[in-house]
Amino acid sequence: MLFRLDPSANENLAAQLARQIRSAAARGELAPGTRLPAARELAESLGVNLHTVLKAYQDVRDEGLIELRRGRGAVMTDASRDVRRLREAIDAAVAVARELHVSPTTTLALVKEALQ
Amino acid sequence: MTTPTPQLPPVDARPRPAVPYRGRTTLLTLLLPLAIAAATVALPWSWRDELPDPVATHWGTHGVDGFGSYEPQVIVTAAIIAVAAIALWAVGFFAGRQAIIRRTVVGISLWFAGLLSIVVVGGLDIQRGLADAHDTGSLNGILLLSFGVATVLALGGAFLVPGDPAQPSSDPVPPTAARLPLGAGEAASWVQRVSTRGYIALAVGVTAFTVFIGVLTRAWIFGTVFGLVLGAAIASFMRWTVVVDRDGLTVRPGIGRPRIRIPLDEVESASVIDVRPIAEFGGYGVRGGKGGRVGVVVRKGEALQVDRTGGRVFLVTVDDAATGAALLNTLAARTRG
Repeated sequence: MLFRLDPSANENLAAQLARQIRSAAARGELAPGTRLPAARELAESLGVNLHTVLKAYQDVRDEGLIELRRGRGAVMTDASRDVRRLREAIDAAVAVARELHVSPTTTLALVKEALQ
Repeated sequence: MTTPTPQLPPVDARPRPAVPYRGRTTLLTLLLPLAIAAATVALPWSWRDELPDPVATHWGTHGVDGFGSYEPQVIVTAAIIAVAAIALWAVGFFAGRQAIIRRTVVGISLWFAGLLSIVVVGGLDIQRGLADAHDTGSLNGILLLSFGVATVLALGGAFLVPGDPAQPSSDPVPPTAARLPLGAGEAASWVQRVSTRGYIALAVGVTAFTVFIGVLTRAWIFGTVFGLVLGAAIASFMRWTVVVDRDGLTVRPGIGRPRIRIPLDEVESASVIDVRPIAEFGGYGVRGGKGGRVGVVVRKGEALQVDRTGGRVFLVTVDDAATGAALLNTLAARTRG
């Protein structure tokens, strides 16, 4: 997958990486069992501190998206498939909202209410 | 009156730079194996008074089962080594633009020469002083020794082959080459893994089969060692990691080494192509193709191809090659001008 870091963005670097891993999982690009690059290698490759990558990996691990195992690195869990399913459901809801010309604000409000 | 039409050479007819390090390639791929071939004849000749007549020339599952005189055996062996060395040398001399090709021909040539020579010369050495060749012992120790020495010789030879000299490009990346929108200060890294489907089953199967043959032929030690080496080679060279980042394109096998790297300043352009492994490379793995093209080919289909300075072309089969090619072009363009 493609990782990219924009130091001039407001979002901090670890958050940028975590977001990209989440959306790659949602797109189906990171199937369960897929191994992410070793944190040290990715940090080296992107020219950032190792702790930035580790922070991103720990964040997505806390969300259950990956498992961190000594020696085996970061492996996508079955939750990545669930995220993809959820993403497809959200896409479907967004398509209906567009079709019915319901505003994003209203749609978001409905989603928030449903989540309560 | 007619004006002569100016004849412009086609773009692909640009003169290709000469193949580098031809002297070293000749020494290691041709001259050294020829010296080994000469020794394969000379050593037994110097032992001719100590050898039984006839000598043992063939070992079957139940020990020695073939006899003859030693001369044709050593001369044929030397000739086979020489023919193989000449063929491999020609590939390295005329198509060795990329270090990996030069290393491969050196490695195969020395491995083959070492293995064949030690088996034959060693097989005669254990008969020195015997009155009757029927008393010759097992060849297993010699087989194991030849395998080890040949491997060390091949790795040593490959190590002595120089890598490609740095050839930075001054030409811009062509505007027609695909790009990726990337901010000026933005860092990017594209990481993909690619493997042959079922490679672990293949590695285990090959190892088991080789050990089985070893047991059948009563050379189980040799069979086991050879099988394990073969299985490990398959397991590590059928699985690759492909990275495009600020260091250029890096391709490495499962065990991490040897690493193939194309620095950004040597990338002329990157593109996506479709590969038919058998037709274009004669198989799978790290392969040389027509015109010295080098490919890491582990499956059929989509591949990332890089036109590199010095008339070199490299490709690796990988999914989503379009993203990798676009990023490589974008990062390479940053290094120019």
